Amino acid sequence: MSNLQNIQDVSLPKVQAADSVLPTWKLVLKRELTDLWIGGRAFTLLLIYSTLLGIISYTYAFTPNLSLVSAQEAVFEMLKNATSFSIFIGLIIGADSISGERDRSTLESLLLTPVNRRHIIVAKLLAGISPWPAAYLIAIPFLYVLAQGNAVLGPAMLWGALTGTTLVLGYTGLGMLVSFWSSTNKISYFVSLSIYALLLVPVELSGDGVDITAEILQWINPVSAVNYFLSKHLLYHRTLGEYWPWLVSSVLLAVMTVALLLNFAGSRLRLEPGLRRKIRAALRKVAGLTALFGLFAVSLTISPAYAVQSDQPQGDELKISIDTKFKQVKMGEVVKFNTDIINRGVQTSSPFIVALNVVNLQERGEVVDLEEWSPQRTQYIEALAPDESINLDWIVTTGLHGEYIVYIVLIPEPESAEDTTFPVDSSSLYLTVTPSARLNPGGVLPFVLGVPFLLLAITFVVYRRRRQQIDVGDPL
Amino acid sequence: MITNGDPVKSISQPEILVAEGLRKSYGPRKALKELTFSLKAGRILGFLGPNGAGKTTSIRILTTMMEPEAGHFVIDGIGSEYPEQIRNRIGVLPEGLGFPKQMTGLEYLLYYGQLYGRTAREASQKAHSLLEGVGLQQRAKSLIGSYSRGMKQRLGIARALINDPVVVFLDEPTLGLDPRGQQELLELVLRIARERNAAVVLSTHLLSEIENICDDVLILDLGQIVARGSVSQVIGRVQKNIILKSVLRIHVPPLSVTKAREVLETMPNILRISQIGELEGSLRLELMASDDGDMAVAYEINNKILSALLRAKIPILRFEVEGGRLQDIFMHLTEDVIQ
Repeated sequence: MSNLQNIQDVSLPKVQAADSVLPTWKLVLKRELTDLWIGGRAFTLLLIYSTLLGIISYTYAFTPNLSLVSAQEAVFEMLKNATSFSIFIGLIIGADSISGERDRSTLESLLLTPVNRRHIIVAKLLAGISPWPAAYLIAIPFLYVLAQGNAVLGPAMLWGALTGTTLVLGYTGLGMLVSFWSSTNKISYFVSLSIYALLLVPVELSGDGVDITAEILQWINPVSAVNYFLSKHLLYHRTLGEYWPWLVSSVLLAVMTVALLLNFAGSRLRLEPGLRRKIRAALRKVAGLTALFGLFAVSLTISPAYAVQSDQPQGDELKISIDTKFKQVKMGEVVKFNTDIINRGVQTSSPFIVALNVVNLQERGEVVDLEEWSPQRTQYIEALAPDESINLDWIVTTGLHGEYIVYIVLIPEPESAEDTTFPVDSSSLYLTVTPSARLNPGGVLPFVLGVPFLLLAITFVVYRRRRQQIDVGDPL
Repeated sequence: MITNGDPVKSISQPEILVAEGLRKSYGPRKALKELTFSLKAGRILGFLGPNGAGKTTSIRILTTMMEPEAGHFVIDGIGSEYPEQIRNRIGVLPEGLGFPKQMTGLEYLLYYGQLYGRTAREASQKAHSLLEGVGLQQRAKSLIGSYSRGMKQRLGIARALINDPVVVFLDEPTLGLDPRGQQELLELVLRIARERNAAVVLSTHLLSEIENICDDVLILDLGQIVARGSVSQVIGRVQKNIILKSVLRIHVPPLSVTKAREVLETMPNILRISQIGELEGSLRLELMASDDGDMAVAYEINNKILSALLRAKIPILRFEVEGGRLQDIFMHLTEDVIQ
């Protein structure tokens, strides 16, 4: 063996390396990306992801019932699934990032270098979210084919990118925090996946109802809140100005996890996992509970549920409410809903008329022929005693496809021909009527098969190039 | 053949590592009690102790991976309150170090070289040099996943040297290696100290081997130092007590055992003759202890026994005074724990 000190005598390597010192976070990032992508984990997850998206698209195209959904709805559903699986990928990578290195005994050699611990965290976080852009690119062909030329594609891609980035950042960071605290990689995976499963539940539980608790839960859960925002924006053309509070929880999650990673985990990253002292554990528990309480309190003040409640008419006398806020149906389907009318006054009301009205939002100026829509568009009610209420059912048969506002007006009967009264209106029901169109199966199939194959081809090229860089002779 | 370096030359070296009163507990268990020692540049310190004695805890503290509850240490003039600067000056091969399987040995060293602030060109030069130094140049572009355990350990040592450290910590570097691998690795350790003038802290269980390469030895037991000094000092200090218990180990060819026994049974001062374990041809002789504790008398009895065997033309394969080796000292000093 040669003298260990005589390094000057060694010939230069063939590779012409750049003669500059790279920032350590870039070095660690490069290393993490190599491990993730060349190591095959990212490609494997993306391959599963693309196959999953393909299966969903195929199902939409070939299942008779599902193929009747509108392009908007199909795009929305695809976006939802793409984001959801991307979050899963981020969470899995985040969950392995620190505890995995501890388990594989590779963390110590990294911590033994003079590299700033915060730089290690930053690099790992950036590497953890690196599959997201690729996942999003993979989703675009599927969104395109499901949109079928519908204008929803543009907003879907824009908001999908924005909300997806926020969510993936938040959940990857969350996975890293779990990994930072976990004593083993198994625990880290278990906790992270439990969080993922837990946060999916409210998405399924929450519906269109106006229950405040459900709505707050939906708002607190970043995934379901974002999905709610996307459904409003993409399916019902509601604006950001109206529904921005539904983006708050996802942004909060991203900001909080990144802040915790940089300021807490970054300065405390060490070989031993988790909470070192009982007192610290107790303090963190208190801090966690305080944060949760704070989040809950904030949610009460800015959640849409709160806004809805405070927006209710505060009139002293007759009040009318409608039990449904929005509905999506196919052309020709029947919509049923009901209204509650209550006399909050101290005196018996006069008799009144309750009238249904439908306004076309898309075709401005085009009048909706109510005779085609509802046989019972006007109902006549006798006087209501103080605190007395009455419930009215309404049936609407949808005509043409489009976006509509349905609302009810309560008009107290004037006492004389020279008298006037003040009508009271209900909140509106946003009605989306979709056409009964089939997706084009022939258009979907090339994407269903093509995207995973393309990904396989890229994976193959990457591995082939890697094999050319290394010696692949007998192991020993 | 591995041999110690020139002790006279080493004495003139400055103290590169000084630890004072290091303490650490895990809950109620005191893992380290007032660890105080120093080490000079170019010397190898054998860091010994039974399992759970506090060796790995000590190394983790000295390599800034763990904070002590009390105490302080200085490496190359830098106090323990500056861990990042200390990390720049130390090289570490931790126990059971893991390696990224998808990297090649060259990529691994290149990466760590750059993490220590070298340019890619400098890191590449250094990586090639070290790979050659540890005998891995032929496997530089092979995936680490395809390396044997010994090769991984040598790569780990190369990684520990990537920043030209002034102190190198090697925690059980020979663990799991075959005898040839152990021998090669210890030769490498000796070269690190002698050629690079680096202080080496070597934690291992290979007592017979480190006796040949270590300049100093520190034996830990239940978190505290039970012996410290140069190998000869430690052996000398403890040896007397053990030798006065007077036990000899003799190895003769199996066919000569009966004849040897006959010779030995006629001699005075021998209390008991027994076979050592299952090993044929091995005899353990318990002698009468010297009343006045005179070492010269003990040595004379030993010589008489040896002479009697030689006169009887019995081939002597091995003649050993129990207590004369570092292993005996270790067993003696840590017997409470072992029992």
